[in-house]
Amino acid sequence: MIEVKTEQVLDALRKVQDPDLQRDIVSLGFVHDVRICEGNVAFEIKLTTPACPVKEKLEMEARELVLKIPGVEQVSIKMTAEVRSHQTLEKENLKKVRNIVAVGSGKGGVGKSTVTANLAVSLAMDGAKVGLLDADIYGPSIPTLMGMQGETTVRENLIQPKFAHGIKFMSMGFFAQGDQPLIWRGPMAHRAVEQSLVDVDWGELDYLLIDLPPGTGDVHLTLVQTVGLTGGVMVSTPQDVGLMISMKTLRMFEQTNVRILGLIENMSYHLCSHCNGREEIFGHGGAKLASERLGIPFLGEIPLETAIREKSDLGAPIVISLPNSPVAKTYRDIARKMAAQVSIAGYSGSKLEVIEEPV
Amino acid sequence: MSQPYQANPLSENFPLPRELRKLGRKELKITWQDGHLSVYGFRYLRTQCQCAFCVEEITGRKLLVDSCLPEVLEGMGVSVVGQYALRIDFSDGHNSGIYAYKHLRKACPCELCRPAK
Ligand SMILES: Nc1ncnc2c1ncn2[C@@H]1O[C@H](COP(=O)(O)OP(=O)(O)OP(=O)(O)O)[C@@H](O)[C@H]1O
Ligand SMILES: [Mg+2]
Ligand SMILES: [Zn+2]
Ligand SMILES: [Zn+2]
Repeated sequence: MIEVKTEQVLDALRKVQDPDLQRDIVSLGFVHDVRICEGNVAFEIKLTTPACPVKEKLEMEARELVLKIPGVEQVSIKMTAEVRSHQTLEKENLKKVRNIVAVGSGKGGVGKSTVTANLAVSLAMDGAKVGLLDADIYGPSIPTLMGMQGETTVRENLIQPKFAHGIKFMSMGFFAQGDQPLIWRGPMAHRAVEQSLVDVDWGELDYLLIDLPPGTGDVHLTLVQTVGLTGGVMVSTPQDVGLMISMKTLRMFEQTNVRILGLIENMSYHLCSHCNGREEIFGHGGAKLASERLGIPFLGEIPLETAIREKSDLGAPIVISLPNSPVAKTYRDIARKMAAQVSIAGYSGSKLEVIEEPV
Repeated sequence: MSQPYQANPLSENFPLPRELRKLGRKELKITWQDGHLSVYGFRYLRTQCQCAFCVEEITGRKLLVDSCLPEVLEGMGVSVVGQYALRIDFSDGHNSGIYAYKHLRKACPCELCRPAK
């Protein structure tokens, strides 16, 4: 009987690289609780997100490498996740919100709210604690998408978010009078957005996604002044990706020092409902090209698919109402890529400065 | 976490700068995390601008005509944008370009990177 040592196990696991963080899982501190009993080795791999795009791959590599150690007969791995906090938030009841991600678009109607809702539910389906804030003061649509209207209640001075499809959500649409939505302007809008973020009983969240109004503007400024955003995601269609209007939104993120987590192309191609064949839409692929040129991660492309709208209109995002559809899979992949970018953002801390050297 | 880690936000194995130095108004010097050193003249950087005025957004076709730029073109200021790029204020007033580190590395004019020239 050959004795297996903890150091040997760790050495083997040092060969497993996290492709997103570009470092091995041992020095990243992912490996915990190594237990060895005769030929049986057990340990835990704690990832930075339950929505990890390479969870299976890491697990398989780890298993294979440890099995190669002489004397090892059996390996059992417990895969867990702990989302790291990226925020420095003073606001008391946002303290337990670990990451805030704003979703923007250059213009209206590109499917930003649909994408945001589906991504939020996707992350929750992977086991994350998720919140969704509809900060669209012009056309709040999350209550419809999530199938829950009506006013919110207040408990202990905090607005109680609604809960559906596994996520907590809050909408500017809840500040309505009767069936008339309120129209916000200037300082009132600022205060309302701030309130819908800060005065809400979010509790503990791994990700809080924010559906921004289209374009650039005051709501974004309110957000960056109120909380530290982990980053921003940009949704565009093949028709508007190359336009100045999309670039403006990207620049707004940049100018306010919000890290761009990635670009998503929506209504990218058409999936034929008869044969599942892919019909390309003119200009499709522009977001991918643009992201390559700008050095921004590309998170994925979503087809134009009637079922997406139908399910949204019925109040249940397609990822949960048709979980086995190809489109649901696409959304979930995108959510995982986004989660990976959030993890990367959490790891790249130290800031560069430009040193001026007179000559 | 024992030491700070510099993840590369651009994945694809492009290194990030370790140090950024602006040498007067003439040159920008970048020491990369892999040790490589790049020295760019500001006039050259101006020709590399990727903004919507200088490069067509969808096709990436260059619209800027290098020979139309002033002979003397200096760098007035360089600032870090987010975690992946620089913004440069040029003496011709242009400053709309975002210089992604990835692009800067590709555009390194040194002999190793540009054996053809
Ligand atoms: N991939 C898709 N395929 C088909 N229909 C879609 C897709 N994505 C969104 N839609 C539909 O397009 C319409 C606009 O979507 P959505 O409301 O999400 O856009 P938005 O960018 O949030 O718009 P607004 O600017 O009004 O807030 C909705 O009817 C939605 O159901
Ligand atoms: Mg919307
Ligand atoms: Zn330019
Ligand atoms: Zn070089």
